[in-house]
Order: sequence, then structure tokens, then C-alpha cells
Amino acid sequence: MHKLSLLACAVFIVGCGTPATYKDPTGRELVVSLDKVNIQDFATAGSQMLESMISSPSFSKGAPVLQLGAITNDTADNFDTALLLSKLTVPLVNAGRVTLLDNDATANAARAESGSKANVPRAEYVLKGKILEDRSNAGSTRQGSFIFQLTLVEVKRGVAVWTDEKIVTKQGTKNAVGF
Amino acid sequence: MKQILPLLALGLLAGCTSILETGDSIERGLNPPSAFNYATTKPEGGFSTQLNDNRIGNKVELLAARKSKTDGGYTRVQFDLRNGSSLRQAINVSFEWLAADGTVTESQPNLIATPLEPGALTTVTATALKVQSAECRLRLISR
Repeated sequence: MHKLSLLACAVFIVGCGTPATYKDPTGRELVVSLDKVNIQDFATAGSQMLESMISSPSFSKGAPVLQLGAITNDTADNFDTALLLSKLTVPLVNAGRVTLLDNDATANAARAESGSKANVPRAEYVLKGKILEDRSNAGSTRQGSFIFQLTLVEVKRGVAVWTDEKIVTKQGTKNAVGF
Repeated sequence: MKQILPLLALGLLAGCTSILETGDSIERGLNPPSAFNYATTKPEGGFSTQLNDNRIGNKVELLAARKSKTDGGYTRVQFDLRNGSSLRQAINVSFEWLAADGTVTESQPNLIATPLEPGALTTVTATALKVQSAECRLRLISR
């Protein structure tokens, strides 16, 4: 009987759980976490901010030269802010709507070395921002809000020509699957 | 020991997802999963619809589709949606852009959750990134 109960325990342990499957990263069946920014949150905030940014007068004509500034992650979650920026830069660059300056140290040094008379693109705009979070709960219900703030600064005048804020709020008692 | 075995069996039934999946299959058989509905702007004005999920189609009304050009010559569309039901609806929308010859030029890689309170009217807007994008296809699916 002792062996039988051990076998039953083993069946219990092995039989439970959901096997891993591939999911469409653009679909509706993704994990929704209350305490972290999910991949679909970056996509949602990024696409809405992209729509807002391209409607600004700065993007009405031509392909302005854009440099990426600092995006501060002011949340408790550790993630790469490129997850947000790529949602804006990838469509813009591929559609030819911006000239994106490479931002690494080598590229910056090369631009400095070429001197002011050289025909190298100079940043006309710098995109910078911040990601914040706000948490609250009522009983067992938890709520997490992630605030995405972006600002486009015109280098020549040093003024913000576009700024936007998108808030993604999630509420529940535990993490779940699906929107 | 006879008391423990039924308890273990109960734990097995309660904890395993296979049981949940069986329930889900039954539920899906009675209530099929959501499908995408489409609304596409037309060159001559107005829009055409392709309704694949009547459940959401009967609740969320597409009132209007407006098409205009930005200063830079890019197409911009706005779709007016209204929740005509007496319950809160959670819909997801995304956009695809088509050239004049019908080829897909751009597609939004994600769905945007758009909650709609009963009777609420909302406007979803999209601006094309490419000049050749002439018509817009709205993809709409319920939660």
C-alpha cells in the first residue's frame, strides 16, 4: 500500500502542468503579469506613441535625422528599454520616415572625427523618455500601472516638439493568460 | 490509507490542466472561439465589411470610416465604433495598410485593447507610414 501511495504521488506530480507551446507574440493568448511589463505592453504603448509621433509636424515631410537619447527605467522590473524604442524605430526606419543615427561610442567618435565640415548627418531630433510604475491594491485585488513617457527634442532650438504619455493598467488577483 | 488514495485522486483531478482542457473543448464546442472581423476603406469612399464573428458584430457597430491625407501626403483613417449592447465589451483592434493595387504595404504587429462601456462611442485612428499606403483594413476581434 505504501508503494501504491508513492505511485499515486508520482502520477500527481508528473501529470500536472501545461506543456510549453509556441504562441503568436502579436496575439491574445499571452501571459499577463501584474507586477512586470509584458512584451505586449511594450507593443501597445509603442504603437500608440508611434501613431501620435508621426502625426506631429516634425514628421510631416522628409526623413529627419533622429538620435536616441536615454530612456530611464524607473520601475522595479529589470528590462531593456530597447523593447519600447524598437516599436517606434523599426517601422520608422523601414518606411524611410527617419534617418536613425547609430548611437554607440564608435559612431559618435567617427562623427566627431569627421569634423563639422564633413557631410555626415547631424542629429536634428533626440528621442528620450521614462518608464514609471504605480501599484495599488484593494483586498486581494492588485493593480499595476506602467507609464510610458516619451519626448522628442529639437536639437537646434533645444525645445520639446512632441511629447506623449501612455498608461497600461492591469488589475487582478493573479497573473493570467490572455488580454 | 484508503482515505488517502481518494484524496490524492481528488488532488489529481483538481490540479491537472488536462481536465480544464476537456472542459474548454466542451465550452468551445458550444461557443466557438472569436474570429476576426474586418472593415476596409474603399477608394471611392466609405468602407466594406467582412463579418466572421456575428457575436461581436451584433454588439459593436462600425458607424463611420473617414479617410484623409496628412500634410506630408500620408493617408490617415479614423473608424468610429459604438458599443450598441447593454454590456461592457472588450475588443482588440489593429490595422493593415494596402496599396492602390491591393498589396499589403504595412501591418501593425500587435492588437490594441479597446474597452467599450455600454453605449460608448470611440474613434480609432491610424496613419500610414508609407506614401503608397492608400487603403486601410481594420482588424477587430473580441476579447
